[in-house]
Amino acid sequence: MSSRFAAALGAMLLAAGLLAAPARAHEGHDHGAPPPPVSNTITPRGEAVSEAFELTAIPREGRLTLYLDRFRTNEPVRGAVVEVETPEGQKTATETADATYVLPAAWMAKPGTHDLLVTVTAGDMVDVLTVSVNVPDPKASPSTDQPAAAATASSVMPTVSAVLTELRNRFIAKDPILMATAAGAFLLGMLVTVAVRGRRSVPAVALIAIAITLTLGTAAFAHGDEDHGKPAPAQPPVQGAALTAPSEPAADLAQRLPDGSVFVPKPTQRLLVLRTSMTETATFHRAVELPGRVIPDPNASGVVQSSVGGRLSPPPAGLFPRLGTVVKRGDVLAYVTPPVQAIDVSDMRQRQGELDQQIDIVERRVERFRKLSTTGAVAQTQLDDALSELKGLQDRRKALDANRQQPEALTAPVDGVIAQASAVAGQMAASGAMIFQIVDPACLWIEALSFDALTTAENATARLSDGRTLSLTYQGAGLADRNQAIPVQFAVTGDTSGLRVGQFVTVLAGTDAEQIGLALPRSAVVRSGNGQAIVYEHVTAERFVARQVRVEPLDGTRVLVAEGVGAGKRIVTEGAELLDQVR
Amino acid sequence: MIRRKLVLAAALLTAGGAIAHEAKSQHGGRVMDAGKYHVELVAKGESVDVFVSDGDQKPIPAAGFKGTAILLVDGKPARIPLQAADGNRLSGKAAVALGDSPKGAVQLTTPDGATASAKFN
Repeated sequence: MSSRFAAALGAMLLAAGLLAAPARAHEGHDHGAPPPPVSNTITPRGEAVSEAFELTAIPREGRLTLYLDRFRTNEPVRGAVVEVETPEGQKTATETADATYVLPAAWMAKPGTHDLLVTVTAGDMVDVLTVSVNVPDPKASPSTDQPAAAATASSVMPTVSAVLTELRNRFIAKDPILMATAAGAFLLGMLVTVAVRGRRSVPAVALIAIAITLTLGTAAFAHGDEDHGKPAPAQPPVQGAALTAPSEPAADLAQRLPDGSVFVPKPTQRLLVLRTSMTETATFHRAVELPGRVIPDPNASGVVQSSVGGRLSPPPAGLFPRLGTVVKRGDVLAYVTPPVQAIDVSDMRQRQGELDQQIDIVERRVERFRKLSTTGAVAQTQLDDALSELKGLQDRRKALDANRQQPEALTAPVDGVIAQASAVAGQMAASGAMIFQIVDPACLWIEALSFDALTTAENATARLSDGRTLSLTYQGAGLADRNQAIPVQFAVTGDTSGLRVGQFVTVLAGTDAEQIGLALPRSAVVRSGNGQAIVYEHVTAERFVARQVRVEPLDGTRVLVAEGVGAGKRIVTEGAELLDQVR
Repeated sequence: MIRRKLVLAAALLTAGGAIAHEAKSQHGGRVMDAGKYHVELVAKGESVDVFVSDGDQKPIPAAGFKGTAILLVDGKPARIPLQAADGNRLSGKAAVALGDSPKGAVQLTTPDGATASAKFN
């Protein structure tokens, strides 16, 4: 008994070995049919990747559309030369406005596998890509589109299984013919046995034989009151995929596949502007957020103030500089004419009269001395004294005139742009009032308030409300408290266009604390329905898989992925929210 | 008896693994898969030879096959048409000397018009 059991086991193992052999025939690669399309509603397509590019080929309506993207960023490649080897020789695909490459390809309509050889030249990058597109036969029904490998495992298997299935079906249906045959065979067998063994137990055997035959016979005819004419109700409900007729071109729709991955066709990816980035492990500094505002660089800005109170008048050009006017150091921006009070006027008239009188007297004296000095009656020294006295009086008189007429010129102390102007012709400016503020827009600082004493913050950035970031250089921190915080100043390095003085920014100052991990933009991490943080990995050209991650804060724009994805993965950084909406 | 059968079964199972061939080069080139074929690329000087064999490394007569090799030489693609030569060999000539093991791809057109391509890195 045990030997039989072992033999059966051996036979089973043999069969398993035979069946397993074709499946394992190739290590690492197989020559079988390419994987079936991800869904019936998706047109056949092929994709290829290289270190630089990702190419997706979609044949449709006699044309081959090629989508060429950068492998790392998923950014469409424009201006590339795409050459395809066709049965008619090498053809160059024409670039369309939406950065796709189109080639008329009537030969692609033929069912079967088309292996394309595509040469891509984009700038100084050249790559040869092989794309395999499997065009299914539109006449073949989708149900017979089973992998052929299993069927060819054994040529005998289908016949055997067909016979067995037939038999089983008949048995289940209690086929009268089958039952009658069985009963007849049984009776015949019994009779033969009896004939061989002898006649001693004929009555008993005959009784048993008749009883069994009758039982089987009634079973054969006494079938239940099941359906006779109704068709079999064994049809599965019609699925969405089956509704699309195979003749009409299937529409490519972004969809969530049964395995949980998201299929997004290339045109939709372009529409959603999906961008990816390659994860890399690196060391990062933890950053703190500080409120700050833009201030002008104290060494590259200035104010123009009047030292005396007076009436403003425009510079020689005739116009006051407007807001935004570029001025140079030393340019006259305005004049201030000090007003002369009534008492001052009388005072000056008095002084003027006095001086005129004295000048008159001294002039006459000088004349007399000049005549007498020739005779020697008056010493030459006396004449010289009188002359210098006259000169002094004349100078004083002239200065008095000038003082009454000369206004004060207000000049620009630095190069820059007029940031604030309050000058109106004829306006009376108070002494010490600011008339103009000049700011150099290329030299701006940011003053932030820190509640901790910041150590020299090396890599500080400022984030604007519109999402732009500025890189900052630490300048210094004050020690005096201001609202329980310390002012910290940074200089904006690089482009400062679009900034205004007084604008609020968020300063992100790096601290000494180091973290190791993968940094991803904040926009790459989305919340799934159950509240878990997920990122989308770009696995193949048109498939994205959600990966659960644990994130830690890093700075304003990035988060640190502590666990969930490894390095060297393409993670969606832009458009992840939109990708998450695909159902 | 039983043991022998078991041994036979084990042998068959291991044979399943043993059938799994490794693409070994027979002409000193690089072997890659192209559809159901194996393609060996041998580039020497300016000549390009491509040997076609089936999945079991059995040579397939090259008669009726056509091919194109696009190989990158100094960052420029060189397109080399391949014509069937003797045995399972297709050959072509490049305009410039090809370096050692140039990157590129080979496309084969089988006698029945189907195409198969292999990429060499």
